[in-house]
Amino acid sequence: MKKIRWGTLVAYIVLAIFAIITVFPFVYMILGGLMSFRETTTIPPTLIPKHFEWSNYAKVFAQAPFARYFLNTFITASVTTIVSLFNALLGAFAMVNLKFKGKGVVQVVLLSLLMVPGEAIIFTNYNTIARIGLLNTYIGLVLPFLTSIFYMYYLQSYFGSISQTIYKAAMIDGASDWEYIWRILVPMSKGGLFTVALLSFISGWNSFLWPLLVTNEDSMRLLNNGLTSFASDAGSETQLQLAAATLTVLPILILYFIFRKRIIRGVVRNDLKG
Amino acid sequence: MNDDKFVEVKNLKKVYDNGHEAIKDVSFSVKKGDLVCLLGPSGCGKTTILNMLAGLLNPTSGDILFDSKSVVNVAPKDRQIGYVFQNYALYPHMTVLQNVMFPLTVGKQKMPKDKAKEIAEKYMETTQITELADQKPGNLSGGQQQRVAIARALVQQPKILLMDEPLSNLDARLRLKIREEIRNLVKKVGITTLFVTHDQEEALSIGDKIILFNNGVIQQDDMGQNFYLEPNNYFVANFVGNPVIDNFKVNVKDGKITGSDFEINVDDLDKSRFKRDLTNGEYTLSVRPENILPAETGHVSAKIDDVELIGRERILKFTHDGVQARSLVDLETPIKRGDNVNLKMRLDRVFLFTKEGERVY
Amino acid sequence: MRSNQKKAWLFLAPTIIFVTFFSIYPILRAFVMSFQSGPLINLNWTGFSNYQYIFSDPEFWRAIRNTILYALISVPVALAISIMLAWFIFSKVKHKSFFETTFFMPYVTSTIAIGIVFRYIFNGEYGMLNFLLRALHLPAPNWIDDPSMSLTTIIIFGVWTSLAFNIVILMGALRNIDPNYYTIADMYGATGTERFWRITMPQLVPTIAFLLTMNIIAAFKIYTSVYALFNGQAGVGNSATTAVFYIYNKFQIVGTPGVAMAATVILFLIIMFVTFLQRKMMKKIGGR
Ligand SMILES: Nc1ncnc2c1ncn2[C@@H]1O[C@H](COP(=O)(O)OP(=O)(O)O)[C@@H](O)[C@H]1O
Ligand SMILES: [Mg+2]
Repeated sequence: MKKIRWGTLVAYIVLAIFAIITVFPFVYMILGGLMSFRETTTIPPTLIPKHFEWSNYAKVFAQAPFARYFLNTFITASVTTIVSLFNALLGAFAMVNLKFKGKGVVQVVLLSLLMVPGEAIIFTNYNTIARIGLLNTYIGLVLPFLTSIFYMYYLQSYFGSISQTIYKAAMIDGASDWEYIWRILVPMSKGGLFTVALLSFISGWNSFLWPLLVTNEDSMRLLNNGLTSFASDAGSETQLQLAAATLTVLPILILYFIFRKRIIRGVVRNDLKG
Repeated sequence: MNDDKFVEVKNLKKVYDNGHEAIKDVSFSVKKGDLVCLLGPSGCGKTTILNMLAGLLNPTSGDILFDSKSVVNVAPKDRQIGYVFQNYALYPHMTVLQNVMFPLTVGKQKMPKDKAKEIAEKYMETTQITELADQKPGNLSGGQQQRVAIARALVQQPKILLMDEPLSNLDARLRLKIREEIRNLVKKVGITTLFVTHDQEEALSIGDKIILFNNGVIQQDDMGQNFYLEPNNYFVANFVGNPVIDNFKVNVKDGKITGSDFEINVDDLDKSRFKRDLTNGEYTLSVRPENILPAETGHVSAKIDDVELIGRERILKFTHDGVQARSLVDLETPIKRGDNVNLKMRLDRVFLFTKEGERVY
Repeated sequence: MRSNQKKAWLFLAPTIIFVTFFSIYPILRAFVMSFQSGPLINLNWTGFSNYQYIFSDPEFWRAIRNTILYALISVPVALAISIMLAWFIFSKVKHKSFFETTFFMPYVTSTIAIGIVFRYIFNGEYGMLNFLLRALHLPAPNWIDDPSMSLTTIIIFGVWTSLAFNIVILMGALRNIDPNYYTIADMYGATGTERFWRITMPQLVPTIAFLLTMNIIAAFKIYTSVYALFNGQAGVGNSATTAVFYIYNKFQIVGTPGVAMAATVILFLIIMFVTFLQRKMMKKIGGR
């Protein structure tokens, strides 16, 4: 028989406890969303519902325009991701492969801006959007986020690891910058670009404060805002709130489980650069 | 048209942004169809020159002419050059065929896919990589990548081929084989080629002509054997030749050349080899190891520190006046380590350099 | 190739335009507005009165106090737990990627949604947490409705949410430690504890410093999790109000954007200061 290693045993127990603490809210959310109202508020609490109340979901969709929220969220998250990635791609290319006067200044300004907390500028940005009359519009929802210095910086470090001679070779082969970007740079950094897109999409999906500011019409709300207003409206109907929360989280969780390796690697690479 | 000066570089200078003067007033020319080696130690500015020829780098001043036309303001893609990079710079996400086709399928004069493929396949045949067509560069050996890089450089039918240390990433045996192949290929295609290397042997074996650089300055622009027989200066004499040349500190005074333990009459030297009058002062007397050999009576006597076998010959190593020196003898010579020998120089083959490195004899 | 390739500006144009309008301009404008009073459509100069106002506003001080307390407690606690868990995962178990995947889940999920879930777990009467505490004969406080518990509640939730990022970054750093160090330590017969304190910890210092500042900065910006836990409120009777809550309130609800911007400037300065400290610390540690 193998000797029991106490250290390993303790480690497994501690990890198991924290893993349960981490996962439990998700499990409770999904199960709670399938309970009857009584089950969510009994003492002692119920964990597994007697039978799954799928009708909760029908009620959620009936009581609030969740389909609309989904659509809005999907559109905003996709548009910000695609456009900001495109802008970051062009910008990072210029910073890595081109030589020009003022590059140093641009780099310093962008790096300083990277340290500016979003919360410090979000209210004045709201003001700007309000003044150009873009409240409750898709454009208003996405406009300030169509550029991401953060992702541009990320791509810069990604492109920087591609040998400079590849660009030189492409120049000699007669490729234009545009051809270089689309035929060489993009295919060579597919992985990095995809990871950035995932991360950007996830943070777009989870955005809260900005849409809270710039939308007040129900039809323009995003999922998280819809969810909070639903949580206030549905007040005591706990099971419906949990079902709605499940609706919000599940798509991202699925995305996460499919691409977990990429996402984690992307985050680690992202942030160690500081 | 001036085929003798198909490539002409005039007073070329390059000062990098950080103030480093990498190339200082360099001029040379290359004959059409020639294979010229740019030789020099690492960091002497070879890549810088090649990049300026390719248009990847702007000269600070000076002019570059291809076929008598200045190309300084011409974009790299319009200079009709092929470039083989030191690390090959193959596109890792494309197959060999796609790599070779790439130059034909981008830019203003891009051609239809099937025509590009036809041409690419022709050059892949020339460089013997036809069967690798569907491989990715990552799966190829160094030598194979090398050929792909050459095929890609040639596919646009450039007038000039630039190669930056193309063999430095290959192992020794392959290097010998490929350098033969490159020479044959280049001659077959008939393209004017500038070949950069830091390896003197490579330069001597492959180049129709060699231009030796140091510190951004041309040291000698000549046929291969002359670097050996008639070096321009102290640097050239020491850079070219294996084993390296022996150097002895000497003092010239009133017709006598005095070393630490030898003396030579200036009259014993070959008058016709003097570049200028020998004035009194300190000099370096240099002699190639095969021109300083054991003899009954010699100029120098020394104890042999070590004997090294190199193929058909042996190097006798000895210390003279605190500096290590060598004598190259044939295999049968019975001298062993620890023996005391007298060594005699062939005075018609020695060189005399001033302290500044200028050759006097 | 030109040494000044002006076309670069073409490629940078979208970035520069957006950054100018939505990053640089709002910073300047926030700064300017902090010296103005009145509603958004009719602002006029008032000098430092907004700053005077916030500094004498007990609400502001409560927000700052809460924010700082939250940062000072949740960040070290979360970091300590993260280091322990990361080290266990890295050194003790086989299913590394299973645990990594599990622990990272909160990072990708919406704080709002999971906050709502926590609201029920924390529920004083029928919540899971109190059920568990009662079963263990421990005190079962009213996490949500008792004002004196609000800060504790958001700290617990804060720790839960921030483990994810910490663990993943620490795992990255642990993987980067040259395994030869451990091989040599083993040769000299080092115990597991010695390996951890003598080899792992010193190597982790830069990462920990980095996480510390990232977490503190994030803690200063706390808003969403409070909003979710307390259903849009800052706890009962504003007991858990935070800096961003204060700003939002003054800006959107009370309608005094000048005051909000003065608070923003203060928050901004605090965060800049922490970032500055980080830079200095990283340099001292030897940086990367
Ligand atoms: N971009 C640059 N900026 C400043 N100095 C450079 C740059 N590129 C090369 N150098 C310097 O110029 C000299 C010549 O470089 P290079 O042409 O690459 O040498 P070689 O190819 O002969 O080894 C070296 O001293 C090198 O350090
Ligand atoms: Mg070089």
